[in-house]
Amino acid sequence: MSHASVTQTTAQATAQTIPAPSNSKTTTDLELCQIAKCYGQQQVLHDINLSVKPGEFVAIMGPSGCGKTTLLHIIAGLEGISTGAVRLRGQDITRLPVNQRNTPMVWQHFALFPHLTVRQNIAFGLTLGGYRQREIAPKVQAMAALMHLEELLDRRISQLSGGQKQRVAIARALITEPPILLLDEPMSALDPHLRVRMQGELKRLQQTLGIAFIYVTHHQNEAFSMADRIVVMNQGRIEQVGSPAEIYNQPATHFVAEFVGNNNLFDGKVTEANATTVTVQCPQGNIYAHSEQSHAPGDRVTAVVPADRLRLTPQPVPAQNIVQASLRGREFMGSQVLYLLETATGYEVRVMRQEAFSDSLALPINADLYLSWDTEDTMLLGERG
Amino acid sequence: MQIPVARPQASWTPDRASRLKYLCLVPVVLYDSIFFLLPLVFLIWIGFWSVENYQAVPGFSIANYSDIFSQFFSRSRYAYAIAQSVWVSATTTLLGLLLCYPFALGLVFLVPARLQRFALVLAIAPFWTSYILRLYAWQTVINTNGLLNTVLLRLGWIDAPLQIIFTQMGTRIGLLHYLAPIMILILYLVLRNIDQTLLKASENLGANLWQSFWRVLVPLSRPGLVYCVVFGSIISLGDVLSGIVLGGGTGKSLLGSFPLFSTVILNEYAASTNLPRTSALATLLIGLMVIILVLGLQFAAIDD
Repeated sequence: MSHASVTQTTAQATAQTIPAPSNSKTTTDLELCQIAKCYGQQQVLHDINLSVKPGEFVAIMGPSGCGKTTLLHIIAGLEGISTGAVRLRGQDITRLPVNQRNTPMVWQHFALFPHLTVRQNIAFGLTLGGYRQREIAPKVQAMAALMHLEELLDRRISQLSGGQKQRVAIARALITEPPILLLDEPMSALDPHLRVRMQGELKRLQQTLGIAFIYVTHHQNEAFSMADRIVVMNQGRIEQVGSPAEIYNQPATHFVAEFVGNNNLFDGKVTEANATTVTVQCPQGNIYAHSEQSHAPGDRVTAVVPADRLRLTPQPVPAQNIVQASLRGREFMGSQVLYLLETATGYEVRVMRQEAFSDSLALPINADLYLSWDTEDTMLLGERG
Repeated sequence: MQIPVARPQASWTPDRASRLKYLCLVPVVLYDSIFFLLPLVFLIWIGFWSVENYQAVPGFSIANYSDIFSQFFSRSRYAYAIAQSVWVSATTTLLGLLLCYPFALGLVFLVPARLQRFALVLAIAPFWTSYILRLYAWQTVINTNGLLNTVLLRLGWIDAPLQIIFTQMGTRIGLLHYLAPIMILILYLVLRNIDQTLLKASENLGANLWQSFWRVLVPLSRPGLVYCVVFGSIISLGDVLSGIVLGGGTGKSLLGSFPLFSTVILNEYAASTNLPRTSALATLLIGLMVIILVLGLQFAAIDD
């Protein structure tokens, strides 16, 4: 009890110090300002700032326990915050109770009401607000049409498949015409085949409705295939915010480089830097990288090389970067093959090639091979934080 | 949610199709048959016997029943006793729900998880003391010059002692003390198994506390509520001790001063030792309980 009141006063105090939103009504749907969240002594969210534009599909991505679901619950009002402010279409909703926010959520396991029919589940949000039955019925019908649920309206929840349940969960959340839709790993309860199809449907739905979707996931594929912008979180902090291409091609931190895509990270020291090329001395040998930023000799840096930019050859080939390594294993991923190699210094390198049916499959385990790649494909990150 | 997984069968587990599994049921079936089913069938059968020269004579006659029904509203007035029983058991069950449902809700939603089991044990502890002892303990509490009346008189809240003992209110108190642990346990287990995400989802969709309670929590706890009604009413109908020790045999209720049907059955047997006739009366009571049980099971089934 005392803890809650302390939290509240802190929130109040901070709310006054935060500058008022400027024209937020037109430019942002949702604004998170300097949000921090503590459970007792443990701080689970640090200084979260994020604004979501109208009609934007934002994916919050990160490993489990990174605070992404907590952040979603904070937006919905299911959890309070220690400091900071949440604004929805310019209105400060930081201390607005959950049931007055109209920030419905699609839950991880759908959380459909088992004692109600599909129709009653969808109508739930409307029946609370004192709508008349004749106002509710057409709205439910229209929503059912949008979500292709007309045939299922009188079914019980237990009679639905996973995909159908998800469509009901989305319909139930959208019935009150919310300004924003929150989705908490909604695909995790679906089988992989269905997941891909639902991703397409969800993206189409979001474009039809034109409202902002905030989608929490730990699956890269989902985030990259649907989102306009991706927020990568780790240990309660935002690591990077950017378009899928930015996140993929220009990881801002070591964490993003390791978490997103299939990157190989080589730690080393800059020995030489000129206008076009930076030479990095690594245990594996010298690595030549291209960098926009200026680096001085002696700087500690990390060279990032995507797994799909590496070539794999049995003989040394002329290339700017070349490292010797032995093959430790391979894994088929559809038409691609992921090779695992180990350098002489014991460093594991991942190589992704589109050659599922080529000769390189015949390579025996422990074969000595050469990895080569271009300077342009090597990015540099500063020293590890 | 469960995905069927083909598990390699351990060598010591019996074959699924094995007849051996029926063997495991034998003790239960034997026990129930000998100690429950057989006496029950016997009781119903004796109800059709007759008495000649103070001796029960096997046979098949409906004389007992026709005699009982002829006295439904006159002389023995069985209908009044049945009505009293139904009234007392219904009101006791309702009171029990009104007391135990909030208690179980508090236990599940307010008590920290690590203390819940301890609190539950405290709540059901009375169950392990002797029922008759508890009834006599209640006598000293609700007596005309008992603890309750003394305190209330001293506080000046009442001018004359409350007449609780030897009324059906006394009966209800005794029954409630017996039923509460059972009801709390049933409700606790049902409430504990409700997915609390559903309550959050309801709130998230705009429901206030009251709406979440009535539209989500109560419907989902229906099986527990129905089982409580079934247990509560059947036990109340069958109990004879509370009605005698605290209800004084013919305790007064809103319906009037009539004994409970169970008391009538006991008294008739004590007075007449007419086993066939008493068996017929008991069969009527059992019939009433079976109806409640069947209706209850129908209502409890969550249709999914």
